[in-house]
Amino acid sequence: MSANTPRLSAPRLRAGAWYGYVLLVALFLMTPLFTLVIASFYDGRFLSIVDYAFTLHWYEVAFASTSIQSAFLNTAKIAVPVTLLSTVIGTGGAVAYTRHEFPFREQFKLLALLPIFFPLLLLGLGMSLWANVTNLGYGILPSVIGELVWISPIVMFVVSITALGVDPDIEEAARDLGADTVTLYKDVVLPLIADGIVSGAIFAFVLAWNNYYIVSYLSGAQSTITTWIHAKMTQGFTPTVPAVSSLIFYSSVLLVVVVALFEYNKSEGDEHS
Amino acid sequence: MSTKHRLKSHFDRAAGYTRDSSNPLFALVRPPWLFMAPIVALLLFMFVGPMLAIVVFSLQSGNTIDPNPLHWTLAHYAEIVTGMATGTGVYGQVLGNTALVSAATVLATLVVSYPAAYALARKIKRYKVVFLLLLIIPLFTSVNVRVFGWALFLVENGVLHSIFNLVGIGQYPSLLYNRYTVLFGTTYVYLPFMLFPIYLSLLTIDDVTFEAARDLGAGPLTIFRKIVFPLSMPGVVIGSLFVFVLSLGADVEAQILGGGSVFTMASNINYSFGYSQNWPLGSAQAVGLLLITIVAGVVILRSLDLREIASRGESR
Repeated sequence: MSANTPRLSAPRLRAGAWYGYVLLVALFLMTPLFTLVIASFYDGRFLSIVDYAFTLHWYEVAFASTSIQSAFLNTAKIAVPVTLLSTVIGTGGAVAYTRHEFPFREQFKLLALLPIFFPLLLLGLGMSLWANVTNLGYGILPSVIGELVWISPIVMFVVSITALGVDPDIEEAARDLGADTVTLYKDVVLPLIADGIVSGAIFAFVLAWNNYYIVSYLSGAQSTITTWIHAKMTQGFTPTVPAVSSLIFYSSVLLVVVVALFEYNKSEGDEHS
Repeated sequence: MSTKHRLKSHFDRAAGYTRDSSNPLFALVRPPWLFMAPIVALLLFMFVGPMLAIVVFSLQSGNTIDPNPLHWTLAHYAEIVTGMATGTGVYGQVLGNTALVSAATVLATLVVSYPAAYALARKIKRYKVVFLLLLIIPLFTSVNVRVFGWALFLVENGVLHSIFNLVGIGQYPSLLYNRYTVLFGTTYVYLPFMLFPIYLSLLTIDDVTFEAARDLGAGPLTIFRKIVFPLSMPGVVIGSLFVFVLSLGADVEAQILGGGSVFTMASNINYSFGYSQNWPLGSAQAVGLLLITIVAGVVILRSLDLREIASRGESR
C-alpha cells in the first residue's frame, strides 16, 4: 500500500491510523469467534494453525447427534414464540410511548425499558425463584415468558427509534381524511414503522437464539444449544463444541447482516428521495 | 356485515374517536392503554414479581417463604454486611474483587473504546457499515460462545500458543485462570456497551462547531478538552454505568476464564443458589446487586432521550 503511494502525506497517515485502530478493536472483538471457526474445522487433538488439517467431521458428528438435534429443536421452540410475541408486545409499547400522550408516560418508559439494563444473571435468578413460588415451573413455556421480559423492551427500543422519526401529525391528518381507528393503525401507522418492526423482530430472534442466562435458570431438564455448550465447556469437552458454537455464530452473522443491509438500503433510499 | 360494522363503531367509540363513551371501562381498550397492556402485564408478572421474590427470599430463614412476616429475619444481611465491613472472610474478599473487577473493566473499556468511538463518529467515512457490523456482530453472539472462543485461543496448545511458536516464543506464563484473564474477559464482553453510547454522543457534534473552534485559533488539544470531551460526557456516563452494572453480574467470564481463581459477587450468588443451596443468603447478596442496578438503570433511562437518538440516526 505505502509502496504504491510514493508521497504519503501526514493527513493520510493520520486517517490511516484511525482506520487501523478501529480495525484493531474490531479484530479484538472477532478473535474468539474466528478461533471457534478455526477450531471447528480442525482435525486433530491440539489446535495448531501451523500444521492445520481441515475436516468437516465435527459438523457431521454434530448433525448426527440426537442430543444436539434436540437442543437445537428446544432452542427453536423457545426462540420462535419469543420472536413473534416480543415483536407484538414491543411494538405495542413503542406505539403507545411514541405516538400518544398519556399520564405517567415517562414512568411507563422507565418500567418498560428497565429490564434492558439488568444483568441477565439477576433476571434469571429472580425468575427461577418466582417460577418456584408461583408453580410456574421450569421448561419451554417459562423460558419463553422469561426471555420475553428481556427481549420485548429491546424490540420496543428499536421500534421507538423508527416511530419517533415519523411525522407526529400523521395520525391527525389520517383522521381528518376519514380514517377510523382500525384503518389508522393498519394502513397508516404500521406501514410507516414496518422497517423498525422487521429489524426489531430479527434482533429478537438472534437474542433469543443466543440467550444463555435466562434459559439456564428456567429451562429445567430441557437442554438448549447454549446450555448444552455450557455443560460441555465445564464438564467433558468434545471437539463438536466448536462446531456447534460456530453454527450458532453463522446464523447470527447472517441475520445481523440482513438487518444491516436492510437499514443501509433504507437510508440510501431516503437520500435519493 | 352488519355485525362487523357494529363492532367497528364500537371499537371507534371505545378508541375515543367518537367521544361519547362515558363508561370508564372502555378507556382500557383505547389505543394507548390497549397497546401498553401486554408489556405492562408481562413485566408486572415476570419482572417485578421475580425481583420482589428475591427481596422476600432474602428475609427468610430457609428455602421456603414463611407466610408470617414476623418470622422474617435480617440475619443474612447482617452476615454479609459485617463480613464486608470488617473485610474478613469470603465477603470482604468478594466485595474487593467485585469492586476491583468492575471498576477496572469500566476504565479499560473506556480507554480502549473512546478513540474507536471518536474515529467511527468523525474520521471513518468509507466502509463504515462494515466496521459497525464487525463491532455489532459479537453482541449478538452468546456470551458463552465468545468466552469459550477466548478459552480456546488462550489455552495451552491453543491458537495463541501456535502463534507464539511461530515467532519463536516457546515459554510464556499461562494466560488462563487468573484474575487478569477475568478482567480481560469482562473488558472484551462489555466493550460495545461503552463504545456505542460514546459513539452516539460524539455524532451529535456538528462539523460547524469544529470549524468555528479552529477559526478562533483553537488547537487540536483545546478542541478536545473544551468541545469533544464535554459533549461526549453523557455517552461516557451512560456507558460507564452500563458497563459497571453489567460487569457486576459477570459470571461466565469468571467461571470459564478465571477457572474459579477469582470469587466475585456474581459467582458467589450463583454458589449460594447452586452448591450450598442457601437461597436466602444468595438472595440477600442479589438484593445488593438489584439496588445498584435499579439506580443505574433509572439514571441511564432518565438521561436517554430517544427522540435525539432517532434524529441522529437520520443524519447519519
